[in-house]
Amino acid sequence: MTIEGPNHVKPEYRIPLTEVLWQLADDDLVIAFRASEWLGLAPHIEADVAFASIAQDEMGHATMYFELLEALGEGSRDDLAHLRPSAERRNAVLLEIPNGSGSYLHEPHFDWAFTVCRHYLYDVFEALRLEALTQSSYLPLRQVAQKAIREEVYHLAHQELWLRQLAEHSKLTRARLVDGLSQAMSWAGDLTWAAPWQAAFEEFSLVPGYRALQQRWRDAIDRKFREWGLPLLKAEMPLNGRDGRHTRHLDDVLSTLSEVYRLDPTAKW
Amino acid sequence: MADDDQRLAEFQARIDRGEKVEAEDWMPDDYRRQLIRLIAMHGISEIMGTLPEKEWVPKAPTLYRKLAIMAKVQDEEGHGQLLIRVAEDLLEPLGQNREDLFEDLFAGRLKFHNVFHMPAPTWADAGIIGWLVDGAAIVTQSMLLSGSYAPYGRALTRIVEEEGFHIHHGESICVSLAEGTPAQRAMLQDALERWWPALMTFFGPREGTHLSTHQQQNLRWRIRTKTNEELRQRFLTKFVGRIRSLGLIIPDPILRFDETTRQWHYREPDWDEFRRIIHNHGPMSQERLYLRQLTYDEGRWVREVLSKNARRSA
Amino acid sequence: MKEDKLGFDAYEVFAQTDSMRPHEHQFSLLAPNPEMALTLAKENFLRRSNITSIWVVRRDHIVKSQPADRAQFARLDKSYRMKQSYSGLADTWRKYKTMPLPPIKDSASANVASEDCADDD
Repeated sequence: MTIEGPNHVKPEYRIPLTEVLWQLADDDLVIAFRASEWLGLAPHIEADVAFASIAQDEMGHATMYFELLEALGEGSRDDLAHLRPSAERRNAVLLEIPNGSGSYLHEPHFDWAFTVCRHYLYDVFEALRLEALTQSSYLPLRQVAQKAIREEVYHLAHQELWLRQLAEHSKLTRARLVDGLSQAMSWAGDLTWAAPWQAAFEEFSLVPGYRALQQRWRDAIDRKFREWGLPLLKAEMPLNGRDGRHTRHLDDVLSTLSEVYRLDPTAKW
Repeated sequence: MADDDQRLAEFQARIDRGEKVEAEDWMPDDYRRQLIRLIAMHGISEIMGTLPEKEWVPKAPTLYRKLAIMAKVQDEEGHGQLLIRVAEDLLEPLGQNREDLFEDLFAGRLKFHNVFHMPAPTWADAGIIGWLVDGAAIVTQSMLLSGSYAPYGRALTRIVEEEGFHIHHGESICVSLAEGTPAQRAMLQDALERWWPALMTFFGPREGTHLSTHQQQNLRWRIRTKTNEELRQRFLTKFVGRIRSLGLIIPDPILRFDETTRQWHYREPDWDEFRRIIHNHGPMSQERLYLRQLTYDEGRWVREVLSKNARRSA
Repeated sequence: MKEDKLGFDAYEVFAQTDSMRPHEHQFSLLAPNPEMALTLAKENFLRRSNITSIWVVRRDHIVKSQPADRAQFARLDKSYRMKQSYSGLADTWRKYKTMPLPPIKDSASANVASEDCADDD
């Protein structure tokens, strides 16, 4: 089945459709924020420039999803990105966890190992999810996925190379990597978790094979972790962001992202 | 000794013929030193210059502005990369590389540009930086583009091309604010007032009637082709009309263009303050140096992974 | 393979036509060593050009992306970082040149406003 666009959306289809889009938009917005915090601060100049492109790509993807929501009459893309409270956000909690202690403005004690691990876990999932979305019943989403997935190839290659490099370089760097990976896995559960109510994602062919993504993600990362000699840790879920439950870090993220926009959301900026 | 004089004369003749110098060519020690001084300062300023603007990257008001300013700050980091590579090729015969440049920065031996010691407390500051600070930079860089050292010229060609986007991005922010609500307009005016003194000192002090030996030498070697004052005049000609056309008030009551002398008259900037600032006593100097050094030091273990002579253990 | 069949190394040739331009790839040739490659390159590929510099690199010293890596080079629309996307600004400046915005009244520097505007050109 194919739903051509906003005008063909029936009420029972609309609810799961917007849920999918919130998840996609919020995931990319929040990871883009975390990645952008490194801008100008990454350990190596060339690596800084490369990672900054990944942050931009994610922000660009978020923008495309917010545009789809805008087209569905949910509100303007900038209102949606900036004004929704954290309880309405659907991003995985893993993506809102800070890069380390401090903030990008003050005492940024950031952890490159955690950053690349977290981004890797996300990229593997994002690639699988986008692949499924290229078969989505909602045509505008299918088209966006077909575009976004093209940039995912580089993201994944970039993160894999960093993980491998850190894993293979020395005992010390592997220890740091394992530490970053443990931190990431201690929050990673909700990234791939499929709620019972998300059965509609499959029922309406919005995200074909949604519930199988979790296992496919697990298989994909385990295969690589074995290759790199990394431990196969359990993905814990202290909180479920897909249900709108978040750490206070998300509030910090949102207040930063919306600081200027909130001065006057009706103004032209 | 006579040989040295001969070489020097030949080098000067090459420059006078308009030939370009490459990294591996013979060059006078002093020419190398002057280039390193200039290019290292330029490169490290780009790197330090990411800091005031990166504050506004996530805070940029709309998704579109967020994307644009991310790209802009990324470009600045990229300009730092280009320039530092050019400097590193000059430093190589001296057994130095970028690590030494960062050490010099932290030790206060390598200065960074006065504008990057200043605070950027509002979104309008991001606009003014993009429009006028980059606008000033492009005036200097266009002049340096025709300099005698080819690798610097090639880097600047790439940089100037990207600065075109930066200025448009900055103009676009400033125009939106100028056309916006009274609060937005006030925010822009406020930022202009904050940045004007730094913009007026951007090009350095006016040359006296006699140029210093260094300046004469740099002009003779075509390391630079215009004086500080010529650049400042060019900047004012390019921007004052547009700034005023937006309804902004430039905080200099005597600023005017004299039709007979074809020169801008302006209130003399506070050069003592300028010197304090570039000696790392500006409002944000210490904070930004601290931020740079903190992340640099904590990132060392990652750079060791990338280094060819890092210690390895099984 | 014939026993006396000869082998050569392939060298890739790059040349620069102006000091301000990058070196551009020209073509490849066979040579026994870098010196010979450099000597042969000029007359093989640059017979009609004025050049400032030639580089030769033994082909197996070049690390290349693989055809499969092409997917990594995909880039979506980045119009936000293109100068051309801001082309509307030209009209804006033309408009303000003839019709400037009124001075900003409620700024902290209102006291210099009248004086400054008086000598506006």
